[in-house]
Amino acid sequence: MEDSASYPSDSNLMATGASKFLANLPSRGFLSSTVFSSNLGGMRVYISDHDTSPPEAQEIKTNQANILIRSLQLKKQIGESCSKNVQGPHSTDGSRKRAPERLLDGRASAKRNNSETGSLQEGSASCTSDKVFHCLTVERLRALLRERGLSPKGKKDELVARLKGVNG
Amino acid sequence: MSIWNYVVTAQKPTNVTHSCVGNFTSPQELNLIIAKCTRIEIHLLAPQGLQPMLDVPIYGRIATLELFRPHGEAQDFLFIATERYKFCVLQWDAETSELITRAMGDVSDRIGRPTDNGQIGIIDPDCRLIGLHLYDGLFKVIPFDNKGQLKEAFNIRLEELQVLDIKFLYGCSKPTIVVLYQDNKDARHVKTYEVALKDKDFVEGPWSQNNLDNGADLLIPVPPPLCGVLIVGEETIVYCSANAFKAIPIRPSITRAYGRVDADGSRYLLGDHAGFLHLLVITHEKEKVTGLKIELLGETSIVSTISYLDNAVVFIGSSYGDSQLIKLNLQPDAKGSYVEVLERYVNLGPIVDFCVVDLERQGQGQVVTCSGAYKDGSLRIVRNGIGINEQASVELPGIKGMWSLRPSTDDPFDTFLVVSFISETRILAMNLEDELEETEIEGFCSQVQTLFCHYAVYNQLVQVTSSSVRLVSSTTRELRNEWNAPSGYSINVATANASQVLLATGGGHLVYLEIGDGILAEVKHSQLEYDVSCLDINPIGENPNYSQLAAVGMWTDISVRIFSLPDLNFITKQPLGGEIIPRSILLCSFEGISYLLCALGDGHLLNFLLNLNTGELTDRKKVSLGTQPITLRTFSSKNATHVFAASDRPTVIYSSNKKLLYSNVNLKEVSHMCPFNSAAFPESLAIAKEGQLTIGTIDDIQKLHIRSIPLGEHARRICHQEQSRTFAICSLKSQSSAEESEAHFVRLLDDQTFEFISSYLLDQFEFGCSIISCSFSDDSNVYYCVGTAYVLPEENEPSKGRILVFIVEDSKLQLLAEKETKGAVYSLNAFNGKLLAAINQKIQLYKWMLRDDGSRELQSECGHHGHILALYVQTRGDFIVVGDLMKSISLLIYKHEEGAIEERARDYNANWMSAIEILDDDIYLGAENNYNLFTIRKNSEGATDEERGRLEVVGEYHLGEFVNRFRHGSLVMRLPDSDVGQIPTVIFGTINGVIGVIASLPHEQYIFLEKLQSNLRKVIKGVGGLSHEQWRSFNNEKKTAEAKNFLDGDLIESFLDLSRTRMDEISKSMGVSAEELCKRVEELTRLH
Repeated sequence: MEDSASYPSDSNLMATGASKFLANLPSRGFLSSTVFSSNLGGMRVYISDHDTSPPEAQEIKTNQANILIRSLQLKKQIGESCSKNVQGPHSTDGSRKRAPERLLDGRASAKRNNSETGSLQEGSASCTSDKVFHCLTVERLRALLRERGLSPKGKKDELVARLKGVNG
Repeated sequence: MSIWNYVVTAQKPTNVTHSCVGNFTSPQELNLIIAKCTRIEIHLLAPQGLQPMLDVPIYGRIATLELFRPHGEAQDFLFIATERYKFCVLQWDAETSELITRAMGDVSDRIGRPTDNGQIGIIDPDCRLIGLHLYDGLFKVIPFDNKGQLKEAFNIRLEELQVLDIKFLYGCSKPTIVVLYQDNKDARHVKTYEVALKDKDFVEGPWSQNNLDNGADLLIPVPPPLCGVLIVGEETIVYCSANAFKAIPIRPSITRAYGRVDADGSRYLLGDHAGFLHLLVITHEKEKVTGLKIELLGETSIVSTISYLDNAVVFIGSSYGDSQLIKLNLQPDAKGSYVEVLERYVNLGPIVDFCVVDLERQGQGQVVTCSGAYKDGSLRIVRNGIGINEQASVELPGIKGMWSLRPSTDDPFDTFLVVSFISETRILAMNLEDELEETEIEGFCSQVQTLFCHYAVYNQLVQVTSSSVRLVSSTTRELRNEWNAPSGYSINVATANASQVLLATGGGHLVYLEIGDGILAEVKHSQLEYDVSCLDINPIGENPNYSQLAAVGMWTDISVRIFSLPDLNFITKQPLGGEIIPRSILLCSFEGISYLLCALGDGHLLNFLLNLNTGELTDRKKVSLGTQPITLRTFSSKNATHVFAASDRPTVIYSSNKKLLYSNVNLKEVSHMCPFNSAAFPESLAIAKEGQLTIGTIDDIQKLHIRSIPLGEHARRICHQEQSRTFAICSLKSQSSAEESEAHFVRLLDDQTFEFISSYLLDQFEFGCSIISCSFSDDSNVYYCVGTAYVLPEENEPSKGRILVFIVEDSKLQLLAEKETKGAVYSLNAFNGKLLAAINQKIQLYKWMLRDDGSRELQSECGHHGHILALYVQTRGDFIVVGDLMKSISLLIYKHEEGAIEERARDYNANWMSAIEILDDDIYLGAENNYNLFTIRKNSEGATDEERGRLEVVGEYHLGEFVNRFRHGSLVMRLPDSDVGQIPTVIFGTINGVIGVIASLPHEQYIFLEKLQSNLRKVIKGVGGLSHEQWRSFNNEKKTAEAKNFLDGDLIESFLDLSRTRMDEISKSMGVSAEELCKRVEELTRLH
């Protein structure tokens, strides 16, 4: 069957070959009209006069660490966490801590920029700040509170609430 | 010209580089997204075709374009990476109709060699990461977190240095890439890697395949349930997965693009370098692949991208020819093709060469481009303004007015054309043979001038003369009623619609009549303090036969007044300023917005926004259309209303993006116009001009008008010869049968019909490199000179070429002389009655010598060495400016006394030139292969020889387009009275099909616009957070420098599209009124 199709003696045989494969082309109901009309030139040129800077922490940068050094560091970390189970959480904690810190700093600067651009982003920012604070350790929260001249005492939830009270 | 230049796009890029389909604008809507290098077009799939939505400028050249759907999202996001290593993720906000930046960033690395085979940007099908291959030996990963947010990117070392393609595999538990690469023995292999996101490294993948087809350069990942990958080569296609390997031989071809048809990945469309479209089928039993099948479907433009849309309709994007919308038919047509072309989208790219000519001799330039490549090569005639295609014309001098009449209000066609003269009125009608002949309407008064005519309700016609208004039956053609002007008064101006008449007599009397069945009822009369100069009651409200408002232009106080109808109550008055009376006034509506247009006696036009309910006039704008009084008339074409302004510079006023645009018409001095939509001449216009009455149709209403002349071969050089009224082109025709055989021609074309009238076949391997039309000293003939090169496969640089001198005799190319050269003749110039040729590294001057036997020959006079390859040469007086392959621009001088060419100065930067032009005696313009423009200045006042020998860079700008040619000239008619008429311009043409204009501005205007540009940058933000300043900064491998002495006209002109509040913001910070800003920017738009 297939062999006869691959050596077509005339174009008709070839034609039936392609027709066979062209059946049941996918259709989702668009472009169903038999008459096509286009209106070219009627395309609106987009002018964006809203703020197009990305949301916080979504301005992506590349990790600048040398690939070799990075892999050595990663290996070292893995090795550490394997050998010393007690110290393990600390070291991973350290790396985890770094991310939210960066988030926070980025947010602070983003906030400065955003202050005149409107409240829409403000809302989403305070919503995420809650999560960010919860990610931080109690020590870090206390340090932040001290920076802001607030009492560093109480449970974690209280600390977060206090910090939010200042930022929000 | 000057060093302060303004760069603006006249024709946007048309080269389609990427396309994709997905639910971008809403979860239910399916969109086609097309990238045209620096712009993105968003289309909506609708039942009746593609509906254009948005044209988005991007501040970068798009390298990759992908749609993807992060977890938990209802619609797709758009990922764009630019060639200058920026990326952004865009989301459509349906509520505000805005593009929102979800993420963006810079993915450049400080060290790294950019890939030779172009940038690769891919997204994991399970949306775990974005992969980028930008530098040899590095694979960049931008991971997603589980909420769909992007995280910090990192590089992974990729062992394979010569990567041809990378794709993500479907259906893998860990993100897995498949890499197609070439080893240092030029063999090609594929390899798979798993991306370990934690370890930030590759892990050896599940399979690999060595020693593939030597031409393999495309990977197609196959979605589940089959999974695996298709490897497309030049002679075979291979399906490869961990447990299957199937191959199929194909006709030798280079596959340019693929499009997936089915979601399960069992069928693909493949487009090859010759424009053939194939269907590739994976046959399978359940999830086991049993084989591959390939079928030829037919021919399309040479593809750069294929997107299967829906319902057997496919979008074919092309860089070499027009992009197409095609339908795949189940049954082949007579030629055995399954492809039916539904629509074509014009593509000018690549513009390899062009010339500026004035074929109609009207003082307006047209650009004739060599567009397209290979079989899709064509000539394109690009003209600004709207053309009238004459269909019939008669001598009829002294026309004072024209109106078309139809028998009843609901008849679609006009039957009569009323033509009024100073002391008579004639009526023309279509007879049975579809000819226009004179007829009579008995009820009309034909011995006097007609002031106005209109058809009316109840199958009636209205004629207004200076003494009366006559109501005539259109069936019996007899007078049914008449309203006479009071004795002692004559009617000066009048207007009417189907049910109303408004007229004015001397002494400022305004009379309003309404038309009934056989009745003309005077409804209202009012006396104004001054005489009336013009009137209008064009119905633009809901009722097409009745207007609620009347507009009246006044003598003496030079004002426009709006009255309500039927009570003729005064609503508002708008003084026009100045001393020129309004001569024509028109109420009209474009795209749902109502306007009042008012034309003055000196060729100026004022327009106001009109509030239909209150009658208020706001947003006054003034433009100059000509120098003579203007008559305004509406007409419709393709279901849209436009206004024709008849004057010494006839203009069509239309609306696009809710903005009024003015387009020239290719006619001189039109005194009157009326639409004449008859059965024989549908959608025609009757035009009175220069003692003639012409019936003609109008081109599509758009700013630039493009006519295509398909050649079926690749035109590479073009020039026009005024004297013989011909074009000559150098072209190459590739025979599809055998790959090796290419034929090169010099062809002669008629400059009106664009038909080949004569051809000269060049030798085998001989390429036409340059062509000019020139004459020599002491010889009055005009010749075509052609420079060629023998491009032999074994040579790196051509070592032999010819200069051929042709004359056009009896419409034939006659070879008069030929001169062999020691290299490729890259450029030819007429120079002091001699011929200046650039031959490889040398500049050579030839004399045109008379031999003893009376024949002529080219004789070498002198030359100049010292270039790598002298590719582009321009001359001015005795100065020669040379654009070198890689040594930027140098300036030479020809010394008559010594008969020698010497170097004067050079630019010591290492720019790889693509085009040069001389702006004025001291300033030269160059374009180079990193898409930059720069200007350099001769330093003739330098104190030392060293200073004088250095060309100083004075302007730098990133155009983002590869310029192939500059030419002096203009696309628009230069009005001597307008400011922009004095601005010298250069036109450029690029690979993406862009035609642009570089205008040299006076310093004061430049400073003003520079300030406007920097203010606009604060208001108009780059889509995706990309910066305009960075985009326009001069950038090559060695340096990046801020743009200087060039302004981005596209940004400046987008001021006109801003909302009123934004305009006011800018006007405040500029300290100039918004009206003044609009006026100044609008003036600039008339440069192109």
